[in-house]
Amino acid sequence: MTVKGKPLPQVDLPPLRQVGRPLRRVDALGKAVGATVYAGDFTMPNMLHAKVFRSSEPSACIKHLDVSKARALPGVACVLTADELPDGKLITDMPGQTGQERRKGSDAPVLAARRVRFVGEPIALVAAETLAIAEQALELIEIEYEPLPGVFDPLEAMKPGAPVIHEPDNIVSSWKIRKGNTEAGLAAADLIVENTFHVPFLDHAYIEPEAGVAWVDDQDVINIRVCTQVVEHFRSIAQAVGVPHNKVHVRGTMIGGGFGGKEDITVEIFLALLTKETRRPVRLAYTREESILAHSKRHPFIITHRTGVKKNGRITGAEIKMISDSGAYPYLSPYVLLYATVTSCGPYRIDNLKVDSVSVATNNPFTSAFRGFGGAQAAVAYEQQMDEMAKALAMDPLEFRKINYLKTGDSNAIGQQIKSAVWLEEEAMQALAALGEKKRVSDDAIKIGQGFATTMQSYGRIMWFHDTSRSWVGIEQDGTVVVRCGAPDLGAGQANSLCQIAAEVLGVSLTDVTFYNSDSAVTPLAGTTTATRQLYMSGNATLKAAKMVREVLLDRAAEHFKEEPNSLDLADNKVFIKSDPQQWLSLGDLSKMCAADGLKLQHLALFAAPFADKLNPENLQGDIFPDFTFSAHAVEVAVDTQTGEITVLKSVGCHDVGRAINPIAVEGQIQGGSAQGIGYALMEEVQVRDGVTRTPSLSEYLIPTAKDLPTTKAIILESGTGVGPFGAKGIGEPALTPAAPAVANAVADAIGVRIHDLPLTPERVLRALGKVVG
Amino acid sequence: MLPEFELLMPRTLPEALEMMDESSRVIPLAGGTSLLVDLRGRISRPQTLINIGGLDELRGIRVEEGYVVVGSAVTIADLKRNVLIAKHGQVLQQATTVFANPLVRNRATIGGNLAYGSPAADAAPPLLVLDAEVELMSKDAKRTVPLKEFITGVRKTVRHPRELVTAIRWPIPPEGSVGVFHKLGLRKANAISVLSIAVMLHRKNTEDYAQVRIALGAVAPAPIRVVAAEELLGRGPLTPEVIARAAQLASESTQAIGDIRGSAAYRKRVITALVQRLLTNLAEGTKEKKHNESKGYHS
Amino acid sequence: MKAKAITLNVNGRRHQVTLFPNVTLLEALRDLSYTDVKNGCEKGDCGACAVELNGKVINSCLVLAWQADGAQILTNAGLGTMESPHPLQEAFADAGAVQCGYCSSGMIMAAKALLDENPNYPSEAEIREAISGNLCRCTGYTQIINAVQMAAEKMTQQRAQE
Repeated sequence: MTVKGKPLPQVDLPPLRQVGRPLRRVDALGKAVGATVYAGDFTMPNMLHAKVFRSSEPSACIKHLDVSKARALPGVACVLTADELPDGKLITDMPGQTGQERRKGSDAPVLAARRVRFVGEPIALVAAETLAIAEQALELIEIEYEPLPGVFDPLEAMKPGAPVIHEPDNIVSSWKIRKGNTEAGLAAADLIVENTFHVPFLDHAYIEPEAGVAWVDDQDVINIRVCTQVVEHFRSIAQAVGVPHNKVHVRGTMIGGGFGGKEDITVEIFLALLTKETRRPVRLAYTREESILAHSKRHPFIITHRTGVKKNGRITGAEIKMISDSGAYPYLSPYVLLYATVTSCGPYRIDNLKVDSVSVATNNPFTSAFRGFGGAQAAVAYEQQMDEMAKALAMDPLEFRKINYLKTGDSNAIGQQIKSAVWLEEEAMQALAALGEKKRVSDDAIKIGQGFATTMQSYGRIMWFHDTSRSWVGIEQDGTVVVRCGAPDLGAGQANSLCQIAAEVLGVSLTDVTFYNSDSAVTPLAGTTTATRQLYMSGNATLKAAKMVREVLLDRAAEHFKEEPNSLDLADNKVFIKSDPQQWLSLGDLSKMCAADGLKLQHLALFAAPFADKLNPENLQGDIFPDFTFSAHAVEVAVDTQTGEITVLKSVGCHDVGRAINPIAVEGQIQGGSAQGIGYALMEEVQVRDGVTRTPSLSEYLIPTAKDLPTTKAIILESGTGVGPFGAKGIGEPALTPAAPAVANAVADAIGVRIHDLPLTPERVLRALGKVVG
Repeated sequence: MLPEFELLMPRTLPEALEMMDESSRVIPLAGGTSLLVDLRGRISRPQTLINIGGLDELRGIRVEEGYVVVGSAVTIADLKRNVLIAKHGQVLQQATTVFANPLVRNRATIGGNLAYGSPAADAAPPLLVLDAEVELMSKDAKRTVPLKEFITGVRKTVRHPRELVTAIRWPIPPEGSVGVFHKLGLRKANAISVLSIAVMLHRKNTEDYAQVRIALGAVAPAPIRVVAAEELLGRGPLTPEVIARAAQLASESTQAIGDIRGSAAYRKRVITALVQRLLTNLAEGTKEKKHNESKGYHS
Repeated sequence: MKAKAITLNVNGRRHQVTLFPNVTLLEALRDLSYTDVKNGCEKGDCGACAVELNGKVINSCLVLAWQADGAQILTNAGLGTMESPHPLQEAFADAGAVQCGYCSSGMIMAAKALLDENPNYPSEAEIREAISGNLCRCTGYTQIINAVQMAAEKMTQQRAQE
């Protein structure tokens, strides 16, 4: 389809000096020359090597566990089982928050005592002089399982009589929306369209497997060097290990990819227990296979849409059912389900909406956070449903959506008013325009298709969590700047954004800023690097702190120049009179003057997101998220109808990010997120049968290589209406959300038939075309 | 971590064969791209490995008495850029371009790929249509085995424990012969074959019907030549009907299994479609003596 | 198992180490503090461990240290430093090709191998082919391709000036 781009609303964003420029990120060169040290790169003198003994059964009682031979192996320093652990519980939800109660039934044991519920469940820990001895020790552990009936399908798990994973039943969480009168809405429809979609388990497949080193220091503090998205886990770690909170120090590293997979506790408690027991440094590094086995997966979902629509294209009512597989332990399943529920119908005005969602326990690998956090799964369903409805109405897919798009000031599915810009139409049109005309091919077997998706994805955490972040900005006496902020950096430039903001406010170059981050004891706690929240939360905190420093500087400079502070400015490492820039002081000299007067040059600021009350799970109506990012992605594919192979020819992502702090970084997020979305659509699946993972390594679990992707064109729009610093929104998760449904829609356009399950493998294509049966 | 093993490091081929003669439990190691993965995964636990990848006698690509002779330790990357292979083993060179990835290609060897005996060995179908032979040497003996008899089942070859694969050779194809290799994977690089196909038209000097050779990978316990289809195709001109029937025969000749990468039914269906497509492309090119335009999106 | 003394020449430094035969080059290099060489999968699937061995870029996880006895090995850290980065490293840093950075060392070695063979303006397709054995989960590869082209341009200019 050819669409001309519509002129955008005129937005006048104030000109900035550092923010908005495609500067080299502060962490980029260190990584490029191989100097950056990751969690697995640390070694310490006298260090032990750890391994984890894991269940090979998906559902069983441990009849007999004997670690004596392992303990007796020369070179083994200790072996720990559940018997040796104090309390033994691992808190599995709501990391990074204060004052929240743990939910009942949400705990997983650190080490399984009598029962195992999934393949890979940790049972024992070994620490030894060498990795080889530790591996040998694992082989000497004797275990006898008594298999218990297991359940591996959420639909089966909901039936009466199904094996129960955690008493009293397998329902981990449920949410409902009852908005308007859906029965009436559907009755008023001219047409009802119903579809059910399935999406599978996914692995984060970050290139860095989980790793860390821990040691006990001279204050009896357990130090843990680890790649984690959440340094606030120190509290849960302390509780699990049986020490006071102030005796655990999490030193987070530059993370080699997280995507939500390093959001829950991974190696930390194991390391803490072993180092506490042996009083020696201990290193634990997962192999890739162990990583795939041991950490969370993206929730599989079964999503059914039943939507009523008038001939003129207006949606009259929608009934949506969502079932997610929570796996063997809840972890963040209730919240993933919540996000999916809130965005279940997409960025559309639906006055009559009935949503029932449920998350179900099984003996499958446990599921938790993964970029998009339920919003990505919901989008796979709602954007395909929109295309199916357009097809049923014989309407152009974009024209159909335009009739139903939310606009600024409208309320979403749960009645929360959208206050920021909603540029869905413009984004879709720009993305489609960039695709251009469909490619022409001479070979009849090759079909070309184009498709797009427009989505909404929240940024900032659930407001009833009362989210806060802190940042500490200071200027040194030579005019250089230090930012200390607990925000872990996943690799998406979280730290860099804070530095660019501080540089902007204090009138220095990005290269004049040093940062310290991700340390639970030494940097102000900034909350989790999750939920696309760091730019919003820590960016605002940093902005606030930097402004406080700026105020001190300008006030003192005003005294010096005998001017009003607002007639001065900071830029190029100087303070100067705006109307007479020849009158200036270097920032170094100004800082020295402030220091001599005992003025405060380091400021700690707290930023709090709006606090809201918890909503009623029986009918979610109210405000949950601070704001949403609205996005579009368009794709052109070629499908070989004889083999089923799909090639992505073109890919365009168009996102209103509010304000791009660093455009190259934002582009990188759009390109990387869409690569993950394309992988989601075409090739990624953790295949699990009877609880056993059949895709144990990166040979079987396939993520896109450089030959599987075209260049993704990233179109960045800036409405300036976000609640982040300088009007920024968030891009981390939104970058991924529209890509998978865009591919699915393009494939459906190419072959003329809808495949309802991801991934769209060549075999599924041929089956959809009726060319393979049986 | 790899399990424990002894590693012998011979400096010459005779030294290597001597070492292998001393024990029947010595496993040859060249590029290691399959073997070391198995060892790490504890799929095999050999006590002793013998490092042969660096032996000069096992390298080299040459033409000898009408044969192309390739040392078993020649890497896939070497094959990919070699002019003799471009000229006399073009269908094999096509396979090298989709073999694993560039890093693996710099280590994986042609001998190792065959000796590992995977039914999905990407070098096997092209070598089968080239009528390749495997040269084996032990301390006191040397023999040559046709490739189609060399791999007998999943990870099974006729190599005796004391033998080394020393070279692979095939007769230089007649002038005007043309071949094509196609690999189907679940992504476009670095993928284990779901199935692979090599087809070759051997032209003779006259206008006689070209001899067709078809080999398939990853659809049977070993890579196979589809003799039934070849015989059918050799009886007359390559009409669309004959090609369709031959493709059907190819599909029926497989013993495809279902696994995580696809069902047996899918593999059979695609074999039919692809054999038909490849034969059609080749036949049209041969008939019209025109350079075959590549269609579709496979690079 | 018997250990043996071998010599590894890494980034211009000569190391003599006594190692068991079952030690991979990846393990040996990391134990010698070349931690820029990363462990992503230990089976040749990801390319994070890529180094140059006697001029050829390979997965160091699939080479036994003994097999590299006497060899010349180059890792990413040997290409340049923060004070004096290699044009590829600089281009990666400037083009956004480094996000989490974990794949970067291996990726740069694969890119270098391409530029060694094809120094003048490699095409997008050639670059994609050359890095097809290096997985990146963060960037979607586009900015990596930009970086390689930028570096090729810079290196061609530098050569022209010499």
